[in-house]
Amino acid sequence: MNIKEIQIPTFLKRIFNGRNTVISIPYLWLLFLFLFPFIIVLKISFAQPVLAMPPYTDLLKWGESWWPTIQASFDSYLFLFSDSLYIHAYLSSLKIAIISTILTLIIGYSIAYSVAKAPTQWRAILLMLIILPFWTSFLIRVYAWIGILKTEGLLNLALTTIGIIDKPLIIMNTDLAVYIGIVYSYLPFMILPLYANLEKMDMSLLEAAADLGCRPLKTFWTVTIPLSLPGILAGCFLVFIPVMGEFVIPDLLGGSETLMIGKVLWGEFFYNRDWPVASAVAIILLAILVVPIMFYQKSQEKAIS
Amino acid sequence: MKKFGNFNIVALVVGFSFLYIPIILLILFSFNESRLVTVWGGFSTKWYVELMQNQGIKDAAWVTIKVAFISSTVATALGTIAGLVMTRFGNFRGRTLFSGMIYAPMVMPEVIIGLSILLMFVTLAIDRGMLTVTLAHITFSMCYVAVIIQSRMSSYDDSITEAALDLGCTPFHTFRLITLPIIMPAVVSGWLLSFTLSLDDLVIASFASGPGATTLPMKIYSMVRLGVTPEINAVSTILVGLVTLGVITASIIGRRQKNTN
Amino acid sequence: MTETTTTEPWLDSNQKPYIQIENVTKKFGDFTAIDNLSLDIYKNEFFSLLGPSGCGKTTLLRMLAGFERFTEGRVLVDGEDITEIPPHLRPINMMFQSYALFPHMTVEKNIAFGLKQDKMPENLINQRVEEMLELVELTDFAKRKPSQLSGGQSQRVALARSLAKQPKLLLLDEPLGALDKRLREQTQFELMDIQEKLEVTFVIVTHDQEEAMTVSSRIGVMDSGKLIQVATPTQIYEAPINREVADFIGDVNIFKGVYKGQDEKGTQLLSEDSKSIIYATQKVDVPVGNRIWFALRPEKLEITKKLPEVDCNILKGKIEDIGYGGSFSTYHVKLENGRQLTAIRANRERTAEHHLTWGDEVYLHWAPHSAVVLLS
Repeated sequence: MNIKEIQIPTFLKRIFNGRNTVISIPYLWLLFLFLFPFIIVLKISFAQPVLAMPPYTDLLKWGESWWPTIQASFDSYLFLFSDSLYIHAYLSSLKIAIISTILTLIIGYSIAYSVAKAPTQWRAILLMLIILPFWTSFLIRVYAWIGILKTEGLLNLALTTIGIIDKPLIIMNTDLAVYIGIVYSYLPFMILPLYANLEKMDMSLLEAAADLGCRPLKTFWTVTIPLSLPGILAGCFLVFIPVMGEFVIPDLLGGSETLMIGKVLWGEFFYNRDWPVASAVAIILLAILVVPIMFYQKSQEKAIS
Repeated sequence: MKKFGNFNIVALVVGFSFLYIPIILLILFSFNESRLVTVWGGFSTKWYVELMQNQGIKDAAWVTIKVAFISSTVATALGTIAGLVMTRFGNFRGRTLFSGMIYAPMVMPEVIIGLSILLMFVTLAIDRGMLTVTLAHITFSMCYVAVIIQSRMSSYDDSITEAALDLGCTPFHTFRLITLPIIMPAVVSGWLLSFTLSLDDLVIASFASGPGATTLPMKIYSMVRLGVTPEINAVSTILVGLVTLGVITASIIGRRQKNTN
Repeated sequence: MTETTTTEPWLDSNQKPYIQIENVTKKFGDFTAIDNLSLDIYKNEFFSLLGPSGCGKTTLLRMLAGFERFTEGRVLVDGEDITEIPPHLRPINMMFQSYALFPHMTVEKNIAFGLKQDKMPENLINQRVEEMLELVELTDFAKRKPSQLSGGQSQRVALARSLAKQPKLLLLDEPLGALDKRLREQTQFELMDIQEKLEVTFVIVTHDQEEAMTVSSRIGVMDSGKLIQVATPTQIYEAPINREVADFIGDVNIFKGVYKGQDEKGTQLLSEDSKSIIYATQKVDVPVGNRIWFALRPEKLEITKKLPEVDCNILKGKIEDIGYGGSFSTYHVKLENGRQLTAIRANRERTAEHHLTWGDEVYLHWAPHSAVVLLS
């Protein structure tokens, strides 16, 4: 395919001398509004906070000479590593992201597998039912759990009415509530790539395995799971990466001891107004995520072409 | 005919209950007479009436709709171009970076995108408001559109474009008369996705917006922080209803188009 | 069609070629798809480019249409150099292998598309579309969308669309490749009728040698970006230029050996198979002792149980396999040295008088004028 496209005839190039113009429109947009801002974040992370607007010092100081003096300060980074709060927040985010990715994978796989195995005429409607909540507001879906999980909420009401428990469970404002919120909100992101993969899977492979004397559970582990690996990876990336920086769910469902780096960043920025530290937090988070993001990009490009 | 297996039935029932019970309860309690969200005090639409009198919510809704409409329209145009560039322009200098900039915003934590775009606006001394929110929304929405267009184009027969050129159509008219109509369903679903993404976004809007440009999610968020109220349930119900209606309409249009084509 | 000069213009040095392909080369990076190729095609010809996949025939066609840039060389159509003209301005139309019908337009809109680009008045467009629909017998399907057509109907719409603009040259890329065998054979004749009726020059790309033989005025056999032989179907079949062409067009038995000179029966070849001298009438001009080949079509091999009463070209063997093909049967005969030859015999009698069966000892022989001498 590439060979054919590189060889776009000269006349096409001449007519489309716009070709480069066409490329440059979205390119410049993303360069300017996506990439360029990161450079600014990087720059500000090396600045020092001041009480002014904007609340940070300039990196380049224009003195009397022709050249500006660079006033890079590593204070923000040193601060991040000296205060155990930040390291804890990173580690805790990592822990929460890993555990909730695994939970989402287990639940998502069961659902995606069941939809892919459902009678053909049911599949479209089941898939639609999975996508539907994905289109409705994230915030609303998280909010819906507050009413259920609160101490005087619907879950405790239901459980005490039935008589399973006599004292209400404390779920709200704990890590458990955060896990429930994350699994719930990110489930469609896990199910969709898994389903896309499982649906395409040749069912005769499973029949062949059975025919060769493989028991169903073993077939599942030795045939189905390895074949659906691309879907599993895509789903896990789609959950793990954004969850690492999640803010809304820990903020609304988590308690004061629920540490997540997205919440810390938000706090540094909006409450402490320490923009250099907020920037440094973002840069380190980005450094942690850059490898998974690149893996995700590669896997998506491969899937599409 | 194939039937559901036992495990599959259980997984689907449990899975869908998990997905839908919270939303159903949310909708149910928006019609609750009582102010308490856990006690059913009888059916009432009074929270909707109250909502209609809440100027703050109405303003926020109006801002959100304007931002969503403009940002999804621009994002669809830019994203469509980006998707075509990715699939039909072969290799060009900086292609890897371009593809990286398209895929990264889809998974990048929102706090990072929000913070970075805000800091840029501050650096360039651009006043924060509706414009900045709109620009931010265009930037991440266009990436979703680009990916939708890209996957549509991967099953597009190139010789259709060549046939049009061969029959005397100029490259520009070929795009307008042939390519665009054929990929239109993908363009429409790109627009719808952009619209809901913009409608939904709290984190990036909170960073990018300024005074006078409070969006609905920002308004709801500040209300939620003060506690659960039937009023929030009511506004949520309206949003869920609108989105559901939109998605179902879109899928019916899509299916009809598939049938006639 | 009355004079021989117009049916075989390539033999007449006064005729001017209509399409002149001059020293054309096409490279994709390091890969040479078309290698310094020259070819003249005459007006109203039905010219076939035939070759295995990857031989460059489709690339050449796409270059004529304007979708591939020329690395070197040029192409003239009716005296005009079109090398640098973009596809939408060339007086050439193409019928695509996938048909490439516009899925969102009806049949008549598809056919009218090219005419609309020329800004032809509405009433003339309608008239022309009607003519084309009649030509391909699809008048009743004018309002249908491509998805509601069968393969054969789609093929005809694609043909009508590409002919609507009355191109100077029509390019057809595997036009019948997607049809089943019966429909393909029927459509071949339709295609020939239409070509004669409209007097348009056709260049067709195909990998199907039977198709090329049936429809073409001339065939260009291609391999590795080069034309190996350009000739009429009969010449290609009966007088292939080398083993490659002989092997590619139809079945053939090749005898390998050493040239031993000429005598009254013709060219002598010391066969590696029978270790005896075999003959072909055709004369060659190479030194004695050179390696040469005889090519013999299976239907020219006589197969008998009795020793035939001829004085040369007799080989003995055993029937290994029989393929019954209805009007004819194919026999695979194993020679004493293990070499297998193919012979075809028409089944003229219903009951098997000269019944041949598996394991029969048989004799194969041929007339010296049936064999072709090949030097490479």
